[in-house]
Amino acid sequence: MLREVKEKLFLCGIAIMAALAVLPLFHIIYSVAARGLPVLLKGGLKFLSGTLAPPGDGLGGIGPAILGTFILTSLASLIGLPIAVMTGVYAAEYPESILGRLTRSLLTIMMEFPTILVGLFVMQILVIPMGSYSAIAGALALAIVMMPYVAVYTEEAFKNIPFTYREAAFGLGLTRFKVVFRVLARMAKKGIVTGMLIGMAKVAGETAPLLFTAGGLNRIYFAGIDRPVGAIPLLIYNLVQQPYENYHEIAWGASLVLLLIFLAIFLPLRLSLKEVKL
Amino acid sequence: MKVAIETVNLRIYYGRNRVIENVNLKIPENVVFAIMGPSGCGKSTLLRSFNRLLELNPNARVEGDVRLYGRSVYDMNPIEVRRKIGMVFQLPNPFPHMSVFDNVALGLKLNSLVKSKKELHKIVEWALKKAALWDEVKERLHEPGSALSGGQKQRLCIARVLAVKPKIILMDEPTANLDPISAEKIEKLICELKKELTIVIVTHSPAQAARISDYVAFLYMGKLIEVGKTKEVFEDPKEKLTKEYLTGKIW
Repeated sequence: MLREVKEKLFLCGIAIMAALAVLPLFHIIYSVAARGLPVLLKGGLKFLSGTLAPPGDGLGGIGPAILGTFILTSLASLIGLPIAVMTGVYAAEYPESILGRLTRSLLTIMMEFPTILVGLFVMQILVIPMGSYSAIAGALALAIVMMPYVAVYTEEAFKNIPFTYREAAFGLGLTRFKVVFRVLARMAKKGIVTGMLIGMAKVAGETAPLLFTAGGLNRIYFAGIDRPVGAIPLLIYNLVQQPYENYHEIAWGASLVLLLIFLAIFLPLRLSLKEVKL
Repeated sequence: MKVAIETVNLRIYYGRNRVIENVNLKIPENVVFAIMGPSGCGKSTLLRSFNRLLELNPNARVEGDVRLYGRSVYDMNPIEVRRKIGMVFQLPNPFPHMSVFDNVALGLKLNSLVKSKKELHKIVEWALKKAALWDEVKERLHEPGSALSGGQKQRLCIARVLAVKPKIILMDEPTANLDPISAEKIEKLICELKKELTIVIVTHSPAQAARISDYVAFLYMGKLIEVGKTKEVFEDPKEKLTKEYLTGKIW
């Protein structure tokens, strides 16, 4: 009898802990939606397309920040994805080589690396020499954050291909280049694309790497890739520190937009992941 | 009698383990040559040293020589070796993301062996006919290779190899994963193909070796125990181990 009670208590305990662990996630989604939705409804389409309102006067829009996030994510992908995929292929194809083994462990470290240090690094090599924050500096910082995710997913995707297909492809007298890029890469396609999207979703929401690199831009849309650029996370970070009520409202609206962008990349990904059979 | 493949004092190591010991074999042209032996005796390893596919395994090391029509394969480019010596594997492994047609066309296209689409179609059809598969798949060339049955998949793999027109085909237990009826079709096909090609087949079944091969080699624990015309080896084995293997005392 006592044993049964103990077991039930134990189960309850675990269930409560588990609930506590996921509660913040739902609370975040709930509070962002509850406080952001009224702002989005009040601001209408102009909230998505317009420029920032003056302090204490209306909502205006976060158009430059949304555009900036798209520019930064695209530029970062342009820089990061090719390098990352090649790195993943290298780590998968030459796992025994010293460089291959090193790559593998470095990627794992890079994934957990404090992203603010990436921002500092890019500030040193780009922002200071150029004398200005810029879209290209922000994109480079995001590319560095993105690369390890994409590389690790690519490597895993290649490693999950059964050895027999590798043998079959080499057995036909194909060069290694053709085996990898014309045969195996197509079999690993889903894994590689998954990695790319996860990397993009990750950097679309990053703030720290942009703090010392992108600079922010709120009243005009785009000034050139060598000029400062806006980003939604950066805008939120700046607005909540202001003493104006309307800026706090805008920050909530922007948070909801960011959450929606993130979910738009992430949910289809999670759903489609089930189809991948390995 | 022309010798297609010859091994000279062939020794193969995995790390420090020697898995093939001093094998000297002469495989004549246009025959079915069976390498039989119990599981783990080194048959598949030996086979993969012929087309240098063993090099995909970074732990494997080869000493001695393998000669293809008198020329050392280790002096040749491995790409060239593998085009001349095709291979069919134990698990039927058509590329699952490619259609039946593309599976056969792959080697031709990527090796730039054809000049036109018309020629490509002609050779693909020829290869599928040679592999006794054409009548079953001519209506479904654009379905994925993975949609075929096990036996059809294996014949598709044979067609894929035939398309690049090798001189020799290595087969690593090609019927081990097939039902008896599919296996019989493959065996018939092998006997048909030897008119134009040399076939080296690895099998753990003495019965299969007896049914289809002209010559047989018995490999045991990495050592070549006996080799000769299949009829002679089966009717009058010279070695005690061979006798024991053929009568089922060791396996």
